[in-house]
Amino acid sequence: MSQVYQFLRHRLGLGIFEYLAQKKRVPVHSCTHFYFLGGMALFLFSVQIVTGILLSLYYKPSPDQAFESVRAIMTEVDFGWLMRSAHSWSANLLVGILFLHLLTTYMMGAYRKPRELIWCTGVLLLGLFLAFGFSGYLLPWNQLAFFATRVGTAIVGVVPVVGDELLLIARSGEDVTGDTLARFYALHVVVIPLCTFALLAMHLFMVQEHGMSVPRCATERLGRDEEFPSMPFVPHFLMRDMVGWYLALGLLAALAAIFPWELGEKAEPFGSAPEGIKPEWYFLFMFQLLKLLPAHIGPFEGEVVGVLFFGVCGAIVLCVPFLDRGPRSRQILNGLALLSVVFFIVMTAWGWFSRPDQLVLRVALAGFLTFLVTVLAVPFVAPGTPKRQALYGLIGLSLVGCLVALGWDAFR
Amino acid sequence: MRRCPRDIGLILVLMAVLAGFAAAQSGATSPEEETTSQEEVSQETASQEEASQEESTSVLPEGYSCVVCHSKAGELWSEETPVVEEQDVVTDLHWQKGLLCHDCHGGSPEIAQFKNHRDDPDFRSVRSRGAIPAFCGHCHSDISYMRQYNPSARTDQEAEYWTSGHGLRLKASMEAAEAADTDARQGARAPQDADGNEAVEEGSGETQATLPGEDGGAPEEQGGEGEVPLDLAVATCVDCHSHHNIRAIKDTNSPVFPTHVGETCARCHSDEKLMAGRFYNDRPLRHDQYEMWRNSVHGIALLEKGDLSAPTCNDCHGNHGALPPGVDSVANACGTCHGKVAKLFAGAQMKHKFEEAGLPGCATCHGNHETREPTDDMLGMGDQSICQQCHNQDNPQLGATLAGAETARAMRTQLEELKQEIGAAESKIQEAERLGMMVQGPRFDLREAFDALTEARTQVHSFQLEPLQAALGEGLQVTAKVQQTAEAALREHTRRRIWLASSLIPLVIVVGILLLFIRTLPTANSVS
Repeated sequence: MSQVYQFLRHRLGLGIFEYLAQKKRVPVHSCTHFYFLGGMALFLFSVQIVTGILLSLYYKPSPDQAFESVRAIMTEVDFGWLMRSAHSWSANLLVGILFLHLLTTYMMGAYRKPRELIWCTGVLLLGLFLAFGFSGYLLPWNQLAFFATRVGTAIVGVVPVVGDELLLIARSGEDVTGDTLARFYALHVVVIPLCTFALLAMHLFMVQEHGMSVPRCATERLGRDEEFPSMPFVPHFLMRDMVGWYLALGLLAALAAIFPWELGEKAEPFGSAPEGIKPEWYFLFMFQLLKLLPAHIGPFEGEVVGVLFFGVCGAIVLCVPFLDRGPRSRQILNGLALLSVVFFIVMTAWGWFSRPDQLVLRVALAGFLTFLVTVLAVPFVAPGTPKRQALYGLIGLSLVGCLVALGWDAFR
Repeated sequence: MRRCPRDIGLILVLMAVLAGFAAAQSGATSPEEETTSQEEVSQETASQEEASQEESTSVLPEGYSCVVCHSKAGELWSEETPVVEEQDVVTDLHWQKGLLCHDCHGGSPEIAQFKNHRDDPDFRSVRSRGAIPAFCGHCHSDISYMRQYNPSARTDQEAEYWTSGHGLRLKASMEAAEAADTDARQGARAPQDADGNEAVEEGSGETQATLPGEDGGAPEEQGGEGEVPLDLAVATCVDCHSHHNIRAIKDTNSPVFPTHVGETCARCHSDEKLMAGRFYNDRPLRHDQYEMWRNSVHGIALLEKGDLSAPTCNDCHGNHGALPPGVDSVANACGTCHGKVAKLFAGAQMKHKFEEAGLPGCATCHGNHETREPTDDMLGMGDQSICQQCHNQDNPQLGATLAGAETARAMRTQLEELKQEIGAAESKIQEAERLGMMVQGPRFDLREAFDALTEARTQVHSFQLEPLQAALGEGLQVTAKVQQTAEAALREHTRRRIWLASSLIPLVIVVGILLLFIRTLPTANSVS
């Protein structure tokens, strides 16, 4: 075995990897476990690739066959149901992990010089994974996906100046048709993956080059980066990372077996839109705001304002490393980030339970999401301080609120 | 610190620029668009002016003779002259085809050549209702004339009309009136001959618009018992089609468009006063048919669901040759739509039994005008069943047998068996769906069982158990197969859980080993 390795080592130049593995170290502090989120995202992406390749062996990207081929995958292909459910669940988990990765990276201030481009490539990767989700949503060609894509692509059409052209490009025509399906398939399996691989390579290379960032709070508490206790990446961190991967794999298998991803009814382009049509959960905050906006805001159309708002928000998120130029601007950015998180939680809960009679459930979901986010914030606040106490209070409040709302809904 | 306001300013400038783009996109109107809009407005105004000019322009040639008397603006119009203004007839199909007054009424359209109607041999008068069919038939029975307008036009409406209940009654009444008129004239001549008085003017006894029975009242009996009643208040062409506002049958505003046929017939047939004293085949005419039909499965389908294929009056009774279907032809009338059922009934021994008993086929069980949606409760020997009304064990009617009662009971029992099996299969499919399993295939297959149930219900009309059992057998095969598939899906669900549990065990073991291994590693602080 050793001889085979030595054979390959000399020919493939594996020595550089040995060097990097030996050199790479991971700082140890109260927020170290957030480093696992990146590895978790990478693991889920690899699950996406494997299950995606297996699905593509059977999937037929045409309006006449797409739905039937997915149904055949789920009913006739051995473990096809597992592949599709794992693909869909891992996609959703991946986006969720990426949101958390983005949030914790921001909270750790890991975008600081010289890691600005790591942040930028990471934000762009998040955008690409959202595009993965949007393009993949249409592929089963079911009712919900068809009409959600029609609504989603229509939003592109309200972009000022180039909206009509963008809409034509997105749909490959005036409406969502078989051409759109072919286009989305090409995007999903060729264009977006190639862009993702390129950006991911840059992202990982820069992470390797600059090493793990130490959060501001830890720096302030313990001193400069070099003085930090750290552990080797191999095997200390890798072993811990692998624990996370296995747990994620188990979670995926459980979700796929207990909650198989449903297929719905085949799309009927000339039929009426199904009731309660909504996009995937990670687009709900945008969808809900656009729904709530009035037709006109001053001299502007409501949808145009909404699209511009999200465009500006995206640009600000992308430019965070360049906008953070000192404590004052950081305070402003922190305020905006807090507002964004609150906005995301409220709009997602509202969009998920959008019926007026679901107000209690809306509160429950908002409470649960607040609980998750506040728990994430704990390591960033020094223990024993009033801020930490306030945070505990908020955690308790959100959890109690969630449980009370759930109980109320169950017994009313 | 001093840079921050500038940063915020940059953001605001960026937002303002994007907002400017939005304003340009949504609010502003380009000069080209404005020009187009103005052009559209001016074109629309011009077309409206043209339309109003067209509306105000008469299609009648100058010096058209009819308007002189029959238009209120005419020079010779008087209170006694019937008025027909041009705007009253513009929606008429004939008018739209270019036919003017003289094309139907004859006479000369030119004022210079006008003759008094009485002196004009070309003038076609409508002096009584009895003349209306021939008046319309002048063109509509002439294929060489009708071909000009429609190569496949029917020309048998008038001939059909004279065979209808309306036509027969009208013809008999006209003949009776003519005979009475002849008698009156002969009666008048005798005194003349005897007394040397002036001769009665020819035509003075001609049937006029106030003939007995034509005012909407009950028909008068002429002569003694068994004489034909003098009844001119029967429907003719104009009663259904109108006279100067005749529309195409496909016109949804036409009184003979399917959704209006019932109302049109009801104008007379729901008039209790008009129907009073009138008989058909020695049975008094009813006046509640329309109400009954409107609440029937057919009426609801046509009037509420908008199903134009649902039958209305003329679909069973005929239109120009309208007559109630006879006892032996009811099944044929129903069979025009319910073909398979009618065929089964025609081949059944029960049909002959019905005919012998004078029962009107389908209508015996399903009713005629008030046809309700059939239910399985009509079958069998239950309280609500139709079968038990004759096949009653205690009091059999019309020669009904107890063997028939057994057949009916068996039919119902076996139908219920298939329904139960369908319910069970449906329940298993729903259970599998609830658990997230894919069961669209068996759900689709289950439709075949519903088809078999429908077929079995149809086979009831053969009044034989075997064909019904054959249909039910196919349905039961389908339900058995569907239940097997649904059960397989449920087993698959259980298998997946077992698979999940068995796959999680090695995962947990691996995680445990990893954690143990991690514990053996030196702590972070001790790693340099």
